[in-house]
Amino acid sequence: MNFSEVIQQLVNGISLGSLYGLVAIGYTMVYGVLRLINFAHGDIMMVGTYMAFFGVSAFLLPWWASFIFAMVLAALLGVVIDKVAYKPLRSASRISSLITAIGVSFLLENLFLVLFGGVPKAFPIPKLFAGSLNIGGVILPFVSIFAPVLGIVFLLILLQLLHHTKYGMAMRALSLDIETTRIMGVNVDAVISLVFAIGSALAAAGGILWSLKYPSINPLMGILPGLKAFAAAVLGGIGDVTGAAIGGFIIGVSEILIVAIFPELAGYKDAFAFLLLILVLLFKPTGIMGKDLGGRF
Amino acid sequence: MSILKCDNLIMQFGGLTAVNHFSFEIKAGAIKGLIGPNGAGKTTVFNMITGNYKPTSGRVLFFNEEITGLKPHKIVSRGMARTFQNIRLFTNLSVLENVMVGFHHKIKYKLYETVLRLPRFGAEEEKMRQMCISLLDRVGLKDKINLKANELPYGEQRKVEIARALATGPKLLLLDEPAAGMNPQETTDLMYFISEIRDKFDLTVLLIEHDMKFVMGLCENVTVLDHGEKIAEGKPVDVQKDKRVITAYLGESYA
Amino acid sequence: MNKKRNSLLTIASIVALFLFLWYASAHFNKYSIRILNDIAIFMMLAVSYNLINGVTGQFSLEPNGFTAIGAYVSSLLTLTAAQKHAMFIIVPMIHPLDTLHLPFLAALIVGGLVTALVGFILAFPVFRVRGDYLAIVTLGFGLVIRVFSNNAISVTNGPLGLKGIGAYTNLWWSWGWAVFSLIVIMRLVNSGYGRAMKAIRDDEDAAIAMGINSFKIKMIAFVTSAFFEGVAGGLLAHLITTISPTLFTFFLTFNLLIIIVVGGLGSMTGTVIATVMVVWGSELLRVVDQPMHLFSFTIPGVPGMRMILFSVLLIVIMLFAREGIMGQKEFSWNGFLNFLRHRKQK
Repeated sequence: MNFSEVIQQLVNGISLGSLYGLVAIGYTMVYGVLRLINFAHGDIMMVGTYMAFFGVSAFLLPWWASFIFAMVLAALLGVVIDKVAYKPLRSASRISSLITAIGVSFLLENLFLVLFGGVPKAFPIPKLFAGSLNIGGVILPFVSIFAPVLGIVFLLILLQLLHHTKYGMAMRALSLDIETTRIMGVNVDAVISLVFAIGSALAAAGGILWSLKYPSINPLMGILPGLKAFAAAVLGGIGDVTGAAIGGFIIGVSEILIVAIFPELAGYKDAFAFLLLILVLLFKPTGIMGKDLGGRF
Repeated sequence: MSILKCDNLIMQFGGLTAVNHFSFEIKAGAIKGLIGPNGAGKTTVFNMITGNYKPTSGRVLFFNEEITGLKPHKIVSRGMARTFQNIRLFTNLSVLENVMVGFHHKIKYKLYETVLRLPRFGAEEEKMRQMCISLLDRVGLKDKINLKANELPYGEQRKVEIARALATGPKLLLLDEPAAGMNPQETTDLMYFISEIRDKFDLTVLLIEHDMKFVMGLCENVTVLDHGEKIAEGKPVDVQKDKRVITAYLGESYA
Repeated sequence: MNKKRNSLLTIASIVALFLFLWYASAHFNKYSIRILNDIAIFMMLAVSYNLINGVTGQFSLEPNGFTAIGAYVSSLLTLTAAQKHAMFIIVPMIHPLDTLHLPFLAALIVGGLVTALVGFILAFPVFRVRGDYLAIVTLGFGLVIRVFSNNAISVTNGPLGLKGIGAYTNLWWSWGWAVFSLIVIMRLVNSGYGRAMKAIRDDEDAAIAMGINSFKIKMIAFVTSAFFEGVAGGLLAHLITTISPTLFTFFLTFNLLIIIVVGGLGSMTGTVIATVMVVWGSELLRVVDQPMHLFSFTIPGVPGMRMILFSVLLIVIMLFAREGIMGQKEFSWNGFLNFLRHRKQK
């Protein structure tokens, strides 16, 4: 591969990575606060994407309004799922919550399959994103620039929220010790809802960016990216938001580069994130940012 | 003879030093108390001794052999057992099954003998059962062995937890706030109980406690922790009058 | 004395079961026999799945991946060299797998052993670390198996799959293995190992504090489950005679999850009962996917409705009836006979 091809693939990878990162952030935040793997998270990404699709094609909203509409709906969905399915089981055994999460995931997938069919729909790409820049032989689709930029913007806003507002501090406190935080007078349920809202909105954003890149949406589209995003969250250090973003970028770039350098492995690219997950668990389970969420003593 | 020795233990969590240069020794057969205000680092010391935490530096010696950083379940087979501040019984198991779990590390039969139900399996299971029933008998719970663990009143649950720890066959028993949540009668019963089992089972006991009457009445020797450091050590009646100890608990004005 | 009576009762029940199967194989129609086979294989899968999830409390999503491994390995071993040569048209099968051939029982066992080995390798990094990674790793593994079986064409024949697998599975094999796995697993559960597994489920830290090597115990549970799931996969492959990468979807795992939850996590008796209920009920529910005719109205069938109902069922059970049918209780002859005696007295 020559230089411009490498750059091209790097750009692709970074763009893909920002998608994984946005979804990974939601996983890591919920796990950090509740120690729950929200299996339905990837499906929330899917639902958000469908909402954006309907926003543009059915409600004829301008693209930016549709995206916001989708993110808001996804946030709402995340909060509702928590209130209805997860909250009642907070004091039950961990396995109960995990089983329910799988149930919710499966429900969303099949609900959308029944409602909208399994045939993929074409996601309408706004004219703004259809074009691309050509810099010295490297073709940069606008989407590939927009995605990581948006991802980083969201990350920075979130970090601001986490470290410089009282809500953020409440979220960080929750991830350390729920009971103590509750005793301190924090409205734990409200903060948990906020966590789900933010994570779900970001997942929807990730899904929308994904569809701008791969404009074919279907009800099962959240499964694979969801798994890879979780791997990204673990790679970055589960519970750490910046780590999730970094993990996302690493997986995105690696996936693209591996296929570019070894085209015969293209069929295996989906297994790569999984392999990375195993390696992380083997050698550095606390991930890149290294937070140890600790046992219970 | 010194059963347990902590040599300059330090425990750091990120920037926080929870335990700083902690050393002490426990002699065989003693009942020693580890006290101090909340957050002093007592449970952290426990966790370093039992292997749940790996000390940042320092050594733990058990029967003069170094056990620092060993996996907790391995330390149990060496003769150390613990209970927890908030009673942690196996809620879905019966009282008897709870205690039998304590015996697990001494089980002699193997997996294939279990699946094939070879004679050694039946013999060991029966032996184990009888031993655990007799343990429960000694703590006065023989008629409750088949009840589910969480169906017992609190005071009795604590006894089950202790019986379970005893089933591991320990030489050193670590009790983390055993009297927590007990009324005065239960507390007095527990005091006698611990003293009895120390004699009956040839044990050494290290306990964390906040109840001062309990500590004064039971412990022959007491170590005081404050902000992760040892500030006093000695007989309870002496430690009680120590200025630094009073300051730690009540503030300077009372010293 | 009671023990002897109980053993005799158990043996008598097993004999009664096989007499029933003998009758069934001679007199039932193909459809009913297929259901009976399905129930046996699902029972074997569910009982294994309950061991790691319900008894040891480690949430795992392994069955579809492990069943696939067992199915492929055993099929590749029972297919003759000639069959393999004819089937692998894109890329020839690699050597020595192309000539390797084993009789049915050996192939099943090898399938189980390979799956057990894979299970060990998979769980090794997961159990060494505290955290809930088993579920995600096994979920991802199911996908990886699909990726692998699609792409490793010289081993699995890729998307074409394997056809013409010998239809060796019959009521004796399926129920024989189901009973065998149930006996082995129950013996494991009713022992120090089982108590250790339950202790880990109830409070892992306390279990470790009592001297239990939780890594080893979890591994025993997981590898045992893996073995039997692999064998069950082999039985399945030799029942439906055609397998392909898309066959072992997450829905299989989901079905098993519903079974063990409905039966009562941790109760093998519950699992057995629930398997019959769910497999049968699932067949009955097929009607929901098809159009229904009620008097002169036709309610259009909604394909996929079944899945929605199942997921809602699972969520509702977890929210309102988590204990399932049996809770944690197991069947015992003593209990059953007492129950009958009380009924008689009334």
